[in-house]
Amino acid sequence: MLTARRYPFSTSSSPRAFRSLLSVLVIWVVFMSGHSANIPALRQLLAARFPTAVRAPASVFPVGWPALDEALGGLPKGALTEVICAAPSCGGQLLLGQLLRQTRAQNVRVALIDAHDAFDPCSWPPDWLAHLVWVRARTVGDAMQVADLFARDANLGLVVLDLRHATERELQRIPATQWYRLQRAVEQSNAPFVVKTPLARVPSAQLRFVLEGSHSLRTDSAPRLDLMGQLPFVPQRQRRQANVG
Amino acid sequence: MFAVLHLADFPLQALLRTRADLDRQPVALLGDARREAPVIACNPLARSAGVELGLTGPQALARCAGLTLCLSVPTAEADAQAALLSVAFSLSPTVEATSPGVVTLDVSGHRADERESRLCGAMPRLVALGLQATVGLAATPLLAQYAARLAEPFLAVENHRTFLAPLPLATADPPAAVWPILTGWGLRTLGDLTDLSKADIAQRLGPAGLALWERAAGQTNRPLHPVVPAHSFSASYETEHEFETIEPILFVLRRFVDRLALDLANAALAAAALTLTLTCTDETTPSRRIRLPEPSTSADIFFRTLYTWLESLRTDNAIKRLHLEIEPVRALVRQQGLFENTLVDAHGFADTLARATAIVGSGRVGTPFLEDSHRPDAFTLAAPADTLSPIEPTAPFWLRGLSLRRFRPPLPAHVALTGASPSSVWTNELHAVVAVAHGPYRISGDWWERAREWERDEWDVELVDGGVYRLVHETPAKAWYVEGEYD
Repeated sequence: MLTARRYPFSTSSSPRAFRSLLSVLVIWVVFMSGHSANIPALRQLLAARFPTAVRAPASVFPVGWPALDEALGGLPKGALTEVICAAPSCGGQLLLGQLLRQTRAQNVRVALIDAHDAFDPCSWPPDWLAHLVWVRARTVGDAMQVADLFARDANLGLVVLDLRHATERELQRIPATQWYRLQRAVEQSNAPFVVKTPLARVPSAQLRFVLEGSHSLRTDSAPRLDLMGQLPFVPQRQRRQANVG
Repeated sequence: MFAVLHLADFPLQALLRTRADLDRQPVALLGDARREAPVIACNPLARSAGVELGLTGPQALARCAGLTLCLSVPTAEADAQAALLSVAFSLSPTVEATSPGVVTLDVSGHRADERESRLCGAMPRLVALGLQATVGLAATPLLAQYAARLAEPFLAVENHRTFLAPLPLATADPPAAVWPILTGWGLRTLGDLTDLSKADIAQRLGPAGLALWERAAGQTNRPLHPVVPAHSFSASYETEHEFETIEPILFVLRRFVDRLALDLANAALAAAALTLTLTCTDETTPSRRIRLPEPSTSADIFFRTLYTWLESLRTDNAIKRLHLEIEPVRALVRQQGLFENTLVDAHGFADTLARATAIVGSGRVGTPFLEDSHRPDAFTLAAPADTLSPIEPTAPFWLRGLSLRRFRPPLPAHVALTGASPSSVWTNELHAVVAVAHGPYRISGDWWERAREWERDEWDVELVDGGVYRLVHETPAKAWYVEGEYD
């Protein structure tokens, strides 16, 4: 005989907790019924029972970088992407150049929030800069404030926040809630938002990959377009499946 | 037909529309600054507490302890009158500023069945500007004025005899010399006066009595003296209560932009730029001219633009005066190219850039343009373009190697040389041995200007610990720097 139990929370005041409990209950029922532990079937069952809990696949922004576009579809729109520049001369600026080139070809505006004023316009053709809004911040705090503004502006097709030279202490001072707030803001504008960091520090990032390995002086004479298209990277996190197109 | 918009207790209304702190407070207006000055107006809260017109300030305070006593503010009255005229001009091109708080309009051009709805439709616009008005409609300006005084809030006079007869004698503003005679005769209403013969009144009371009889009978008509609409769009406010925080300034500015937006709409113009000038108590005048990204008539856009600037403004003293000026232009008509990318929300983008500039400082937000110079790091920042043209598809790309990621300012370095090549580098952040060095690459320029000439040797070095950097040796100063990292 089952005994009625009082739970410490009210279903009307904690819907997420109620859904979690119900999903556990469904799993237990499936197990007790003798069904095989088929994860895709279980996902379908949960999606059918709780349709609002399933997020739609993200639309993506192809960056013209074949390795990334084929593996991950591109940068997710309306979401944060964290690019970890783990080594010196790993190609973080080459990636930025590729983003400038791709957004210029699509004729959309891009904002670069440069927390340490490190961008070099002279490294790129003048026509690749016509659509760029460059913010030469002085501190990480100023850069985060400006990022919050730009994340909400519908005029921008891409926002890049460069915290590459931020120290670990400066990054630790950014509360996690600020990253989640940024994620909520970006969802409204539906533009990709790229954050470049020296180490993993963006908890709300939907996509995270690492640029490993340093380039050498042997690349001195290689065409820059070739270097941009051949950047090696290692994916670390992809929270949503991409819906290409 | 004529209509009159009447603001009861005009000096008090003009004051209260600029003072958010007096909302829902009992307030009385004194005639002047003397201690025995009488109360000339009070709001309903004060009236319900027992304050009456004619009481002195101390007497009024005795009846209502929480009463706020104020003096009239001339600049507030001027702005309120301008707001009243703005609404009047939206109803008729012929408007007379009859007296402070009273305007008369010629509404003959309106269809008879539309007059009431259009006049009543103006009252919410006045409420939005902080003014409560009553409206009278009649065949003559004087009848319309009488109707406006009695309206709650709209009164149309259809038969002037039945309208005027029961009104008190004081309605027709009898001269002071005639008043005791009339009351001595037992006359109480305008109907009592017009029951007497016009000739007898003229004979007994003279021209003043004749004019009074004609007013009481509704026989007075006069042409309007129209006001010429202002060609300048500006508003000012000066107060004895200095502004120390932004909120009361914003309250007054909102009144300004609402009224000026209506003026612009009446004149079929738009605003190209806003100039806000503040006067501090030490007579300094911080001022800012803000050019709008495109002409607009939206009060919300004006307010947001001014708010963005005020948010970042800091003054050493309180503010005692505001002056806002709008530069009018014809509304923009523009045909855009098929392949150009224009802004989705030009005003929103300008607001975003203004806020970003307020955070990081002036001259640090914009689109970089390369200068025609070989000097390293030669560029300027300009305002982002409103439209983007498609990129030239055949432009060649000749750049090789990694791009530079600069250190601004460059990092001072100590460099050890082996022969002529760098062999190790020390800075506050780097301490490494050089594995490979390419260089020197000597560049110089501006040799024709002594003050600007420069000369340097550049080295591209790969460190043993990883990373490729640019070392610079400034020849005249013989100083080494790490200018950037190749990335």
